[in-house]
Amino acid sequence: MRYQWHFQVILDNLPVLIAGIQLTVAVSALSMAIAIVAGMAVALARLSSHRALRWAAYAYTEFFRDTPLLMQVIWVFYALPLLTGINLSRFAAGTLAVSSNLTAFLAEIYRAGITSVSRGQEEAALAIGMRRSQVYRRIILPQAVTRVIPPLGSMWVSLFKDTSILSVIAVAELMYKARLVAVDTFRPLEIYTAVAVIYYLLAYPQSLGVNYLYGRFRVRE
Amino acid sequence: MTLAAIYSWHFQAVWNNLPFLLLGVKTTLLVTALSLVFGLAVGLVAALLRLAPWRAANLLAAFYIDLFRSTPLLAQLVWAFFALPILTGHSLPPLAAGTGVLSLYVGAYLAEIYRAGILSVSAGQRHAALAIGMTGAQVMRRIILPQAVVRMLPPMASTLISLVKDSSLVSIISVAELMFNAQSLSAVTLRPVEVLTAVGGLYFFLTYPFSLIAAFLHRRYLAV
Repeated sequence: MRYQWHFQVILDNLPVLIAGIQLTVAVSALSMAIAIVAGMAVALARLSSHRALRWAAYAYTEFFRDTPLLMQVIWVFYALPLLTGINLSRFAAGTLAVSSNLTAFLAEIYRAGITSVSRGQEEAALAIGMRRSQVYRRIILPQAVTRVIPPLGSMWVSLFKDTSILSVIAVAELMYKARLVAVDTFRPLEIYTAVAVIYYLLAYPQSLGVNYLYGRFRVRE
Repeated sequence: MTLAAIYSWHFQAVWNNLPFLLLGVKTTLLVTALSLVFGLAVGLVAALLRLAPWRAANLLAAFYIDLFRSTPLLAQLVWAFFALPILTGHSLPPLAAGTGVLSLYVGAYLAEIYRAGILSVSAGQRHAALAIGMTGAQVMRRIILPQAVVRMLPPMASTLISLVKDSSLVSIISVAELMFNAQSLSAVTLRPVEVLTAVGGLYFFLTYPFSLIAAFLHRRYLAV
């Protein structure tokens, strides 16, 4: 069967798709910013000497890492308002779900980064008379940060793609806009192909950048 | 009323419909298992082509891997289910479309795991084995794979966890797995809080053992 491609619809609806891209970038950037800070708090809680705090952080990371993001998004959007009486906008609910999910992953990355700095260094620093906060600031964190940057990059690329799940609760990001246009124009083949190409063109260079980061910050011991 | 401070939970709705949710669990496990098996095969072929001394094969495999890793799974599913049939004139049943896409998707990730595992065995060992007279196949079987497989296990366990979770996305193309049944049930019973919370518990129950296994494998085989 010969299909008559009709690429004009893509050009006609490009402004709508570009608005979608903008929202995809906005949700991704906002969620990343929140998770970078919140993830550090969870990681420190996970490593703290306080037992209850440690367990709470463990339960949080395991729960968010072991259940699907789709489920979390739907839970925050449909169940949370009934439970709390607080109605969140689609954008707020989506950002809350995605950033909570990302926080759990970043917490594990931070924790791995911190614990990867060998114990011997910590003990040596303590032995020469540094205080614990000094050891953290001068010895552990500078090394941990360089180890954490490449996986943070990977998480960013995943996040960028995962925000497409927010189309399910009608957050007007790229995937949702695509569905609207596809239904509107009766041209799903052209539109969905265009959207796949757009995601590819946006995400692939990012993943090349991440590969560069892995090479740049390779740990040599 | 703005704050419903105390929500009265009614898990009866979940309890009465547990068989329906468990049916969803069964389909989730089926989709996951099929995608894993196909993905392992596709990924291995892609990894070998990517490493083969044949430029066209390298490029083709790299394109497949990058394409599936650089686009959202949701976009791939929607494309296969809503766009592909227009091109081919044949529509796919949801389960076939969902499993097919998920297999190709996870195959791309597994290909990179295979490749990283194979490349992690130092070239010196390969040269040494060739120098003492082993054939290429023997080097692969006796020297490289035994070491590579052990290094592939931890990331593969992580990939399996992701796969169980990602399989929830096939609900969008109406495959009646756990997430799909959960949404039907919460619409019918008007108890989204209980149903979705219970389903969260079910997913956790499915993936947490793998999470423990993955953590163990990481400690056992990747600890420096």
